[in-house]
Amino acid sequence: MNPEHVVVLYLYAALFVVFGISVYGIVIKPHIVKKLIALSILGDTANTLIILLGYRTLPKPWPPVFPELEPSLELIEEFTKLSVDPLPQVLVITAIVINMAVTALLAFLAIQVYRLYGTLDFRKVLKLRGW
Amino acid sequence: MVEYIIQNYDIVTASLPGLAVLISATGAFTLPLLQLITKNRRAWEIYTALFTFLVMCLTYKLMFKVFEVGKPLVYTFGGWPPPVGIVYEVDRFNGLLGVVVSSIMFLVAIYSIKYLEFDDGVQWYYTLFLGLEAGMLGCMYTGDFFNLFVMIEVTAVSAYALVAFRRYDRIAIEAAMKYAIFGALATTMYFTAIIFAYGSLGTLNMADMALKFRNIEVPVTGLPFGIIHYGMALFIVFALWSFAFKAALFPNHFWLPDAHAAAPSSISALLSGLVVKVGIYAIARFLYTIFTASEAIASVHRLALLAIFVMGVSSAFLGAILMFIQKDIKRLIAYSTILNIGYIAIGLGLGSAFGALAATYHIVNHAVAKALLFMAAGAYIHYAGTRDIEKLSGIGRAMPITTLAFIIGAFSLAGIPPLNAFMSKFLLYGALIATGVLPLVAIVIIPSVIAFLAYLKLVYTIFVKPMPEEYAKKKIKDHPLLTGPVVILAIACILLGIGAPYIINNYIWPATQSLLDWSSYTEAMMQIAQKLP
Repeated sequence: MNPEHVVVLYLYAALFVVFGISVYGIVIKPHIVKKLIALSILGDTANTLIILLGYRTLPKPWPPVFPELEPSLELIEEFTKLSVDPLPQVLVITAIVINMAVTALLAFLAIQVYRLYGTLDFRKVLKLRGW
Repeated sequence: MVEYIIQNYDIVTASLPGLAVLISATGAFTLPLLQLITKNRRAWEIYTALFTFLVMCLTYKLMFKVFEVGKPLVYTFGGWPPPVGIVYEVDRFNGLLGVVVSSIMFLVAIYSIKYLEFDDGVQWYYTLFLGLEAGMLGCMYTGDFFNLFVMIEVTAVSAYALVAFRRYDRIAIEAAMKYAIFGALATTMYFTAIIFAYGSLGTLNMADMALKFRNIEVPVTGLPFGIIHYGMALFIVFALWSFAFKAALFPNHFWLPDAHAAAPSSISALLSGLVVKVGIYAIARFLYTIFTASEAIASVHRLALLAIFVMGVSSAFLGAILMFIQKDIKRLIAYSTILNIGYIAIGLGLGSAFGALAATYHIVNHAVAKALLFMAAGAYIHYAGTRDIEKLSGIGRAMPITTLAFIIGAFSLAGIPPLNAFMSKFLLYGALIATGVLPLVAIVIIPSVIAFLAYLKLVYTIFVKPMPEEYAKKKIKDHPLLTGPVVILAIACILLGIGAPYIINNYIWPATQSLLDWSSYTEAMMQIAQKLP
């Protein structure tokens, strides 16, 4: 097993740990802003996970960009062997945009909760809601 | 060039799925510009009604064409053939659901004009409304499971914001917060599921995924590499959990009663009738079209069906029992949604064609009847200003037409023949008998009886009890904009019930067949994929 493989395995393990911690944060932490932070971390972890999936454990992987406008056939063949997978990066861009929209909406809701209830503690909000 | 990416259809029909979604999205994005030009709220309302009407016409034309030809229609974005580009794939099943979505959206757009007369900021309401329509139609039509994620998020973000539309209502904000945090968690879980599926299969196309399970080679993406069992098991677990959350199946139902009760009634009708169906649709599509009849994941598939069945049974009982003790009219109707989603999940969990037929018919019937109930309840709430059942007593007498429609909807969901939900419950009953285990029929009958009692109590309070003095002073009467959509849905309830044999033969059964028919679903994609250079 070469060192790159080991590093990638460690990265996977670390990401799964972070994934678990952020799910714990969303479910258990009573403070709304902390839930929000945990949710952002969860989204970023998922994004990093799929980027890592597209990574090639080669000594020198290529970026997924052709160096010339009209690549020759040999270049394309070499490219498929050495380049990292570009698709996960495309997915991540979409996912980041969506996460931004959800986070903005949740931030607005958090502000509104604070305005109406005077607290950001979800347990107190549940007690105050009155039904 | 165009011919090879369009099979079996003319070019106008073949562009309808993309157009339907694009038009709603365009409507959503241009409404904020329109409100810069004119501050007249009538203009915004008519604009939205026109857009939803246009989309409704497109989906009807699409459905009739797809039923006529009988083969799935593949719409390629930008002309990129399937395993490479994003596609929409419309067969009879999602064509039918698209029609249900767009028709109810149109009726709710009409209803909203009167219902929101006292609210400000309605331009943002209509923007989100059209965004919700784009998201739901996208979810229904898509043939790409990453695009499904994007569209679920579009639907979900619009839905969270619409629940919080009355932003100075404490309960609405709290319910939206709960819905949004756990909804965002669920969609992120679905994104993680996509990671596992992409890692083990190397594709994002649903039809391609179905072919990979059967070891059939597809151009460009080839065969699955390595052992796919663990990756796919993880995909099924994560994806089904997030779909079950969207569909509010028992342990994940907790957000539904709060969100549906706190939202404006027009939005409750959409959330209950349509948004939860997105989750159900995704479950049906994955379990019946994509995972069926493949050796590789047969055991996981059986387990998933069993899980859906058990969740359905628990939802049905939980919904029925909690429905009985509610004091808030909208919470009562919301718990009825959990009950009926439970029925649909029972039908899907049986894994037989009969069960899928019952589930498909119940999806349509529940969407119609539940939208009716929420809209009629909204008409009462609009005039009375309260959601408490006791305080609403006798209000039905002042609004006789709305109440008649309300009674039809309530009795339909309670299972009175010949109304529509009775017919689908009867099919479900037959499907459970066909399994050969007779005691199973109790799981349809008992919740239905409890629900009937709960509805009877509600109808008694609203219609039979004497009306308090204060309502006589308020001049409560049927308003055409509030009553019209409700009456149309009530007529639909009766027609779907009386015409059940005709409708089942001509629409529901063909739709169910195309849900079960994975070979023509994948063939439509393969025909185009093979033409790739």
